[in-house]
Amino acid sequence: MKAVLVERLPHRFAAARAASLVAGSGTGVRVGPTRLADVESPRLPGRGWHRITPRLSGICGSDLHTVDGASSRYFEELVSFPFVLGHEIVADVLDGPLAGRRAVVEPVLGCLARGIDPPCPACAAGNKGACERLHLGSLAPGLQTGFCRDTGGGWSEQLVTHESQLHAVPDELSDEAAVLVEPTACALHAVLAARVTPGDTAVVLGAGTLGLLAVAALRRHAAPARLLAVAKHPHQRRLAGELGADTVAGPDETRRAVRRLTGALGVGTDGDRPARLAGGADVVLDCVGSADSLAESLRIVRAGGRVVLVGMPGKVSVDLAPLWQREIRLVGSYAYGTEATTPSPRTTFDLAFELVAAADLGRLVSARYALDRHEEALRHAAAAGRRGAVKVVFDLRRPDEAWRRRPLPAGPTGDGTGDGDGDEATDGAGPGAPEAGRAGSPGRRGATVNDKERA
Amino acid sequence: MTGQASTGRGPLRPLREVLAAPTWPGTVERPPAERRLGAGYDTAWSRTPAARFGRALVLDNLTRPALRLLAAPHVSGLERLEALDGPVVFAANHSSHLDTALVLAALPVRFRHRCVVAAAADYFFDRHWKAVASSLALATIPFERGRVSRQGTDLAAELLDQGWSVVIFDEGGRSPDGWGQRFRGGAAYLAKRAAVPVVPVHLHGVRPLLPKGGNRLRPGSVDVRFGTPLRPLAAAQAGARPEDARRFAARIEEAVAVLADEAATDWWQARRRAAEGVTPDVRGPASSPWRRAWDLPEHARTDVRRRRLGRAAPW
Amino acid sequence: MSPRPGFVLEVDRSTPPTLFWHGEGFRLERLPEGSRVIYPPEPLPALDDPDAAIAHALEHPFGDSAPLSALLFPGMRLTIAFDDVSLPLPPMRAPDVRGRVIEAVLDAAAAAGVDDVVLIAALALHRRMTDDELRHALGQRVFDAFAPNGLLVQHDAEDPDNIARLGETEEGELVALNRRAAESDLLVYVNINLVAMDGGHKSVATGLASYDSIKHHHNVRTMQHSRSFMDRHHSALHTSNWRMGHLVAEHVKIFQIETTLNTDTFPSSFGFLQRREWEWTLRDRVGFEATRSALERTPARLARQIFHSVRAPHALASIQAGEVEAVHEETLANVHRQQLVEVHGQTDVVTMGLPYISPYNVNSIMNPILVACLGLGYLFNLYRGKPVVREGGVAILSHPTPWAFHPVHHPSYIDFFEQVLADTTDPIEVEKRYEEQYARDPWYIHLYRTSNAYHGVHPFYMWYWCAHALDHLGQVIVVGGDRAAVRRLGFKPATTLADALEMAEDVVGRSPTITHLHTPPLFLADVR
Repeated sequence: MKAVLVERLPHRFAAARAASLVAGSGTGVRVGPTRLADVESPRLPGRGWHRITPRLSGICGSDLHTVDGASSRYFEELVSFPFVLGHEIVADVLDGPLAGRRAVVEPVLGCLARGIDPPCPACAAGNKGACERLHLGSLAPGLQTGFCRDTGGGWSEQLVTHESQLHAVPDELSDEAAVLVEPTACALHAVLAARVTPGDTAVVLGAGTLGLLAVAALRRHAAPARLLAVAKHPHQRRLAGELGADTVAGPDETRRAVRRLTGALGVGTDGDRPARLAGGADVVLDCVGSADSLAESLRIVRAGGRVVLVGMPGKVSVDLAPLWQREIRLVGSYAYGTEATTPSPRTTFDLAFELVAAADLGRLVSARYALDRHEEALRHAAAAGRRGAVKVVFDLRRPDEAWRRRPLPAGPTGDGTGDGDGDEATDGAGPGAPEAGRAGSPGRRGATVNDKERA
Repeated sequence: MTGQASTGRGPLRPLREVLAAPTWPGTVERPPAERRLGAGYDTAWSRTPAARFGRALVLDNLTRPALRLLAAPHVSGLERLEALDGPVVFAANHSSHLDTALVLAALPVRFRHRCVVAAAADYFFDRHWKAVASSLALATIPFERGRVSRQGTDLAAELLDQGWSVVIFDEGGRSPDGWGQRFRGGAAYLAKRAAVPVVPVHLHGVRPLLPKGGNRLRPGSVDVRFGTPLRPLAAAQAGARPEDARRFAARIEEAVAVLADEAATDWWQARRRAAEGVTPDVRGPASSPWRRAWDLPEHARTDVRRRRLGRAAPW
Repeated sequence: MSPRPGFVLEVDRSTPPTLFWHGEGFRLERLPEGSRVIYPPEPLPALDDPDAAIAHALEHPFGDSAPLSALLFPGMRLTIAFDDVSLPLPPMRAPDVRGRVIEAVLDAAAAAGVDDVVLIAALALHRRMTDDELRHALGQRVFDAFAPNGLLVQHDAEDPDNIARLGETEEGELVALNRRAAESDLLVYVNINLVAMDGGHKSVATGLASYDSIKHHHNVRTMQHSRSFMDRHHSALHTSNWRMGHLVAEHVKIFQIETTLNTDTFPSSFGFLQRREWEWTLRDRVGFEATRSALERTPARLARQIFHSVRAPHALASIQAGEVEAVHEETLANVHRQQLVEVHGQTDVVTMGLPYISPYNVNSIMNPILVACLGLGYLFNLYRGKPVVREGGVAILSHPTPWAFHPVHHPSYIDFFEQVLADTTDPIEVEKRYEEQYARDPWYIHLYRTSNAYHGVHPFYMWYWCAHALDHLGQVIVVGGDRAAVRRLGFKPATTLADALEMAEDVVGRSPTITHLHTPPLFLADVR
């Protein structure tokens, strides 16, 4: 079985880090610890575990960190090598109660999957994301499927999942929409952690997948009076507007835009913008997770406001004096669990399924690659914004199942600044031309390629 | 408390223990801090032969040539000092930091190297380096401005007795707007106490070179004018009682005003006007600030490059 | 040789290429045969003895006014207001005419024993001047006598304690003025009338007023009814100012001193800028070539610095003092004597080369909004009678239009460009949706009062200034500008003048008539 495997090879981690620093994110794949390998399918670890074959498997920012050798050392005890990457998965279930159906994987490997009884307090309360037993139990350590030696991962032809991890996909939901359920759940969890109250001004920094999903989630699950999305690229600006941002600004305009929206005052100057704001947004969702974005968040949030870390930060260097002096709440948000919705609590995944369908989030899938093309796929994902893409996925479906496929969304239009190339948009693999896209490729399953590759 | 508690860890610890001063036990009373700066600064070292020699070298070889280039001083009235050989109090008007050096440089040799300058304790002696630099280069002694205090006058009187001359800028500070200020009486008091004569000195045209608040030197030319030595009048001359310090101070100020008139016109006119009692008032008109500035004579006008309020960044 | 009047050239095949200003640089463009080029009149001769002329003007007032010396008495409150850094353009060589006039006024005041004198820079909603700019405008002597004593102040339209509400005009316009000026025994206003728009009652009623007062005439409706605002008798802007001026005159005695300058705009090293191309001497041709090739190799910042250090050799052409309206009529006659050019018939396409400077970017950056304002606000409106270009015609502006803003001087401009123009470029909508928000924004007010920033509402006025042109024109094309910035303004970018003329044909039809405004130096087109 083919799988994208990560091994414990410190020198290759170092090489990937160096390559990604020199040549940019995504380039570390060739010299790094990641390789396309032929491996045994994982064995079922015990009762309640089932085999699944992925249909679409997304590339997430945390995956790119691993590929680039840039993951935080913090995770060393929470993964087990060698592991197969991929945790945003929509798959066909081969056995068990859901056999024959499509399902989305909830990848966190909590107490239930690990056979730990009684479960930790977090798991008992339904907050799997906060599980404190990720290194114990019947499985090798691993915080999620896709980081654990024993389960396999989504970037492969087969893996095993515990039945508590599987969520059946309604028939009317496309694979593209389903593969976005997991990241949508992350965004939802963060939005609910932000505790936006009506009348608030909310700012979403970054308009990659998570940022755009956060905008959609804020629009439908919170009631900010003003929602500002900070987006760098033209297609991101367009999508942020479509998904519900009231105002979209470029990264250089952030402080001025927040000031205009909130009527805050400036403090000092930094070129043509205030050095920071006095007053500002009530809530900032940092969907970038860099030192720069965190520092910017602290500059634009009001005293006593909330900054939610949605993007994975790792080791960053940030001046926390403003946090201290202005009593800013810095909140982390990871994964998902059970949300305190009214009238009764619901799991984040349930809410995510609804949101994906309601906001038509499947349109965020902008490129599909076969597993063989994983190097190109990772480079595309790493440069998604610049290349006019949002979510890049691996397509592992059989060729004869093309009917399930949706056409990819139309590329950026109108802005005319030529940044987004948008040619993925014309992937002809829609219902009308099922086979056209694969005419020239060898008859491997999942050999869907985008326009560029065909050309 | 153990000795190591405050010195931390690491390879540098022994070094830190040596360098850090020991802490004072809380149970032992601390003596009051000595006042070593300001009026209490001890300038005795600056009158040792070595310091005097160094100062003479600097004054003759550096300060005077530099002043010649910068200020082109024109010195007059030296002939009025010929009869004097003992210690003297020089009382001058004050409009610039350059005044001290100018007076010292203009003095005849017999006074120049045996002379101290009374300088504002709060300005010249507020930092250690300033106190050292000014007492070494200009032989300053700390003097409290605005009042005649014991510490300063005692030292000055003592030095006069020892044969040193003293330069006093009796206005108590540099002129803020270019017009003269009232003489405070320090010169008169000292002269009476030490029984020495007072020589009025007038400096003309120094302000444009370096006014109060200015930070840039602009070359120009100045006049340094010495007047006839004055002594407090004895009882016979002054009427019933000997002249007191206050009236003597007024007479010194008048003498400086006549010198100012002399610089602006000529000696004869100045004498005639002095005789008629119509010497122009160096303190300027008692009108609004803009009119005082408007009426300021040409030689005292300046290029006030200060108070750069919120200068915009170039681009 | 007496100076030649302005004239209109008809381009033929032996006409040399025409000089276009292009920001901090120039272009030589060959205009199609049959195009017209309007050349400004040559500079009038300077007054032989400006100081004597000033003294004469102060003692021989126009209209119903006593000579200045008769108006001064000990114990009075005297306030002298003067035009700010936006005049003249470029800033004139020292001594500035304001300083000269004010020295004469102060000499009279000192002679009369007036103690209570305050100088006020009549900023209106402009940025505060820097010390260096004040020193240049007033001269060293005046600056030194007043600035250190806090007697030289800059008008603050947002200081509630120092704004006096004098009442309302018969049209309901609020008149709120600088309190010191309003409560003086005599207010002397020293103006520079660079163009016909300046001066008159506008000096005091705008220069020393508050936002709440200014907004009654600085708005879209007024600007659309000012045809043009360079012609005070057909300008709603001025009519409103005149109403306010009458009210002010009831409260405070005003002694207006107006000056006009000749149009000697550039120093001799830039002589080619004021000479007709076919008269360029060898020196001019070498100078032009050297300047152009040097500028091509100069970074934009440096080029800007070089140009903004240019001091104009403007000379005093006339001075008149006394009662405001009588003085202003005389001033206008003098402005017209220098600037009027007779033009017969309108044109389909008007072209203009925009220079590096406008009234609002002295020592600063000419941002896209100011580019629009200089072209469509100022140059377009330099007419009397009817616009040079016909209704539905096309204006072609030449300027690099960089997406760049001076961070200190123009903070609200950045926001205006990012937020307002991204939303709409229609002046009426702009005014309706955003003016209030920007005018009351405490941050802009803070920067206006304490830093050197234009008031938050100022970019709106720049846009309103264009309202008449935007109404009148079919299209606006910018040659050689930053494409994104030009599009944000709602205009069309073009790479060359030839392309722009092709694009213009789509709007006005084939073989259009073309007229080029050969300015600066300035002129006022008298279109018959």
